[in-house]
Amino acid sequence: MTNQTETRTVSNGVDVAALLEAKQAIEATPEAGQFTWRARCKWVDGVQSRSTVDGFFGLGEEQARKSPHTIDADHPEQFAATDAGPTPVEIVLSGLASCLSAGVASVAQHRGIQLRSVEAKVEGDMDLAGILGVDGGVRNGFSAIRISFEIDADATPDEIAALVAQSQKRSAVFDIITNPTNVHVTVA
Amino acid sequence: MRAVTTLIIGAGQSGLAMSRALAHRGVDHLILERGAVANAWRTDRWDSLRLLTPNWANGLPGAPYRGPDPDGYMRVSELVERLDAYVSEIGAPVQCETEVLRVTQTDAGFRVDTSRGSVGCRALVLATGACARSHVPALAAAVPSGVFQTTPSAYKRPDDLPPGGVLVVGASASGVQLAREIMASGRPVTLAVGWHIRLPRTYRGRDVEWWLDSLGLMDERFDQVDDLARVRRTPSPQLIGAPEPVNLNALQDNGVEIVGRLMDIRDGAALFSGGLANACTSADLKMNRLLDAADEWATEHGLDDALLPPERPKLTRAPRAPALSRSLTDGGIRSIVWATGYRPDFSWLDLPVFDARGRLRHHGGVVAAPGLYAMGLTFMRRRRSHQISGVGDDAHELSAHLNAFLDGRVGIAA
Repeated sequence: MTNQTETRTVSNGVDVAALLEAKQAIEATPEAGQFTWRARCKWVDGVQSRSTVDGFFGLGEEQARKSPHTIDADHPEQFAATDAGPTPVEIVLSGLASCLSAGVASVAQHRGIQLRSVEAKVEGDMDLAGILGVDGGVRNGFSAIRISFEIDADATPDEIAALVAQSQKRSAVFDIITNPTNVHVTVA
Repeated sequence: MRAVTTLIIGAGQSGLAMSRALAHRGVDHLILERGAVANAWRTDRWDSLRLLTPNWANGLPGAPYRGPDPDGYMRVSELVERLDAYVSEIGAPVQCETEVLRVTQTDAGFRVDTSRGSVGCRALVLATGACARSHVPALAAAVPSGVFQTTPSAYKRPDDLPPGGVLVVGASASGVQLAREIMASGRPVTLAVGWHIRLPRTYRGRDVEWWLDSLGLMDERFDQVDDLARVRRTPSPQLIGAPEPVNLNALQDNGVEIVGRLMDIRDGAALFSGGLANACTSADLKMNRLLDAADEWATEHGLDDALLPPERPKLTRAPRAPALSRSLTDGGIRSIVWATGYRPDFSWLDLPVFDARGRLRHHGGVVAAPGLYAMGLTFMRRRRSHQISGVGDDAHELSAHLNAFLDGRVGIAA
């Protein structure tokens, strides 16, 4: 029922003031908060592909990244592939862990909690009978995902648990994975 | 057109408290009530409902509770009787069976068109409450036609529902209470649980309301909190006006199935969030922070021996693999109860006093039009503003502002 605000000088490398300014700006001008994220993906060979991320729409206009980022996706040798990169599902798991970790750091900064280390182990269970079409009753995607955080911080166990809880509450990827989204796929 | 100095719309606890406060200041006024006194309490609540606050906390201004059961939770019918009696006690000028159709600005103040003619006034108090209507999310439109739908404002008793399974959407005060009694009626209940506030009915032998009071939380003011918009959106706690718990463990013990927040209805199926565990964990952590503060307060005040030892409620048992979807066409779910919150209803207020999201713009009940005031809204001036116990202080302060407005005095702080 109380709001915790920054009371000690801590440095987790998150500019909370800028985030709060952004929140106020978007409350005043809701259009500025309308973002569209993008990636381009090019098939390389076999089951390997390379995605490039170089810009997005937000704050009312097109935005460019400092330089393009690329992510290679492939599949392991057990799938008769070249293992030139993580599988797309591992990229999804990494995205979830990264999103929650960023959230933990931001919330900790806002609450005046100094972090020393944050490590997450993420696992997703999958029955390949789904994607291989062996059993129509099995879904393609994960049947369950588990994330375990190990956090060393200047805080009580309950305060650390609250960081992780709040991080999930405000996480885009956690929402994307736990909640349905309409997906439209077209062919140009 | 008939004219009064001040008009109050709504003869519930808020409108009556304002009437008493205005009378003390000698302000001529009239209360318009669409039905009978305490109309929403009479018509828009379910049969078994008891107030969530103990009787000792439900005194009206100048009329504290003096009944035989200060620690009990009164039925709504008893509250209605008390409000009826209060009208006589304070001599409130109530005109019943008068529905307000439209309010517009005039040079002299406001014109209020009603089902029984128009009234002009210089000052106007909106006392129709924070729970004027049940909110139903837009996705309800996708519910298949064979499923019966209702809200806590329309629902009276379990037998209003068809036999068979019931999906209760929302696990705040209304949702958990209705899930409990519908389950007990023999209808299997699935409860969709989003962000919720968990509170124990009692802690260390005292009602939670006593703790919230003692910790000063109920009197925390709207201009003292960090993020007022967020605080005003806080859902009502999982409480019932009875000693028994209605938390998610107790509901599951009674056979209620809990699932995540209802996120979408697609191809005739309800889709639930996979984030249930975190909603439960967050609620447990928040509850325990409050109880930590309660323990600290008790020690500071030397009450550790007078109170029972600290015994924390068990953490919520979130199901390991809650259902992520449920068909609404296979006959398993025959009805849906939308316990998805309440909203005020100012649809008749034809004035530019709303924000982009349609919410009334006001500063502690002083609405963004000179001479216009609100009462009884969520965290309007203090945390208890929407409770019975909150109307006295709010009416006292806002009637002072209103009186100063009528006198042409400006610069009075809200």
